[in-house]
Amino acid sequence: MNLRKLLSKDNIFLDLKSNTKEEIIEEIIDRLVASGKIKDRNAALKAILERERKMSTGMENGIALPHGKNNSVDKLITAIAVKKEGVDFDSIDKKPAKIFVLTLSPLNRTGPHIQFLAETSKLLRDSETREKVLSAKTPKEIIRLFNE
Amino acid sequence: MSIYKRFVLIFVILLLFAVYSYASIEESKPEMEHRMITLILQLAVIVITVRIFGVIFRRYLKQPGVLGELFAGFVIGPYALGSIILPILNQPLFPKLGTVLPVTPELYGIAVIASIVLLFMAGLETDLPTFLRFSFVGSIVGLGGVILSFFLGDMIAVLLLPNVDSFMAPAALFLGTLSTATSVGITARVLSEIRKMSSPEGVTILAGAVLDDVLGIVILAVVVGISRLGLSGAGVDWGKIGLIALKAFGFWVICTGLGIVFATRLTRWLKWIKSPDAIAGVSLGFALFLAGLAEMAGLAMIIGAYIMGLSLSQTDMADELRNRLHGVYQFLVPIFFCVMGMMVNFSAMKGIIIFGLIYTLFAILGKILGCGIPAYIMGFNLKGAFRVGAGMLPRGEVTLIIAGIGLSTGAIGQDMFGVAVVTLLVASIIAPPILVKSFEGGNGLRNENLLKKEEKGCQIKLEFPSVHIASFICSRILQAFRNEEFFVHRLNIEGQIYHIKKEDIFITLIQRDKTIELNTSTENKHLVSLIVLEEILELKELLEAVHKLKSPEYLYTELATGLFSEDEE
Repeated sequence: MNLRKLLSKDNIFLDLKSNTKEEIIEEIIDRLVASGKIKDRNAALKAILERERKMSTGMENGIALPHGKNNSVDKLITAIAVKKEGVDFDSIDKKPAKIFVLTLSPLNRTGPHIQFLAETSKLLRDSETREKVLSAKTPKEIIRLFNE
Repeated sequence: MSIYKRFVLIFVILLLFAVYSYASIEESKPEMEHRMITLILQLAVIVITVRIFGVIFRRYLKQPGVLGELFAGFVIGPYALGSIILPILNQPLFPKLGTVLPVTPELYGIAVIASIVLLFMAGLETDLPTFLRFSFVGSIVGLGGVILSFFLGDMIAVLLLPNVDSFMAPAALFLGTLSTATSVGITARVLSEIRKMSSPEGVTILAGAVLDDVLGIVILAVVVGISRLGLSGAGVDWGKIGLIALKAFGFWVICTGLGIVFATRLTRWLKWIKSPDAIAGVSLGFALFLAGLAEMAGLAMIIGAYIMGLSLSQTDMADELRNRLHGVYQFLVPIFFCVMGMMVNFSAMKGIIIFGLIYTLFAILGKILGCGIPAYIMGFNLKGAFRVGAGMLPRGEVTLIIAGIGLSTGAIGQDMFGVAVVTLLVASIIAPPILVKSFEGGNGLRNENLLKKEEKGCQIKLEFPSVHIASFICSRILQAFRNEEFFVHRLNIEGQIYHIKKEDIFITLIQRDKTIELNTSTENKHLVSLIVLEEILELKELLEAVHKLKSPEYLYTELATGLFSEDEE
């Protein structure tokens, strides 16, 4: 899967400010709204929070994969975000989440949505890559890292 | 009276009624109508009989339904019960015809259409990605099996048949071709039952069988061409044979190449029609068209049909086409097997029983050694090599089609046609127990490195409280993969085994009663886990939603109230 096509400086956020799970999700959505990727902020937020309500997407080793399906978008929207200090995300290993891979995809439309999450999280399995993501200064470094 | 007895009684009454109507109409109707009535009555008897025999073979004899359909043909055909003069009819329902084929041209025509549908579907089901993935070991194994089986089949004919004096004689060529085609359906069913589908032997067999089919059909194309030349009275002219082989091979390569290249464009064009049923109909029309072209080019019709199926097999429409055409397949293909069974004349085989047994033995050896030796060289141990060979044993529809073509072109007689059918029966019946037995014991690999890539897999196994929930989740998972633009391919119509593919991602899903098993490489574990996880969450939500409904007891009472009271409106 070509991750290069789905990543750009408009959807990589390395300096999240928020301190709770909900706020983190909200902040990422707001930034995507600001860059024009999402039109209906509330619908998008609702879809992602709805999925979190069913079960947290906090995985292991500081990775979280918030995602949702909603017709507020007409194609797959992705984002990679970092909060170096970490926030409690109700993760499987109870550790704070630091790297967030978010996707929002339209309902009833085919596309490699889960595959994007899988491909990214596969890369993040490697502790060295995780360190590099956390210490990245610019979105370009992340794009390069994901296309190595 | 039990349901079976009632069913048989209805069948007999219907038959008598049909025969009676036939007799009363027969004298007053002109030729065409008479022939049509005969055809319809024959079809009626065939369609019902194949179903009964199919059920008996599957349910009571634990054999594939196909063998039952073939057997139904023996029983009701012109060489058995079909030749009995029915009192009201004053003639047999399946009279012995003095022509090359013992059945009417109309009935044979239906069988030909069935064979085109069968090969079109076989082409559609061809699993090219699996083949390409395991192609190296698989092709060597498949190639070995085809070469040795062809050579042994042809050689036995030359050595033992008095009227066959050359390796290039049509009868010898047909007997060689007949022993090449493997029917992987039986093997796939056995492997899935003993849970060895994704073993190194399993994947090698599946990949080998793809090449086997393709090569078998290419060889058939060449053999039909050569035998037509031979029958027209010319001697062995290597120049002409070369030309025919080139033409056959050329037709194959060009059509398959064009088919695969233009499949996406064709699919786009077909999608413009929008109605899935119309798309399926048009696709089948293309298959018939290419079948006709192949025959005009001096090849067999089924080659065209197979190429059309193969071309469409890698498009996203393949699954939809298979589903839409499933009904046509289910109706026509048993008729094909039954008609083939009808053409077996056991009395013509009296003189060549010994030959038949030797031929069968060598057909078995051809596959065991032809596939086993290359498998051994490629890194399997003796046990593994034997498993691969045994897996390639079953013969099926392609063998029958080849035999049918041989019989209709006069290249082989009724005796050899019978030998082909007996070989098919023996190989298909003995293969499953041999295969099951051979998989007992340890590892089949000598060289662990060879298939390391395939072996380093991970398995996700989920058990659900009931078969219904497992089936529900299974269909949801498959749909989720389709939504992710994966190509989902059901391996055989009877079992619940699926290959899920996209680019280099390869996943096998097997549902057995209450369990779902997903096999893939460690690399793709993330994807499979995430997809399954989402579907489990959906199930959880669905169950919660059910609880929010009115209580089930209340719904039950509401629905049941009034069912047995008289004051209903």
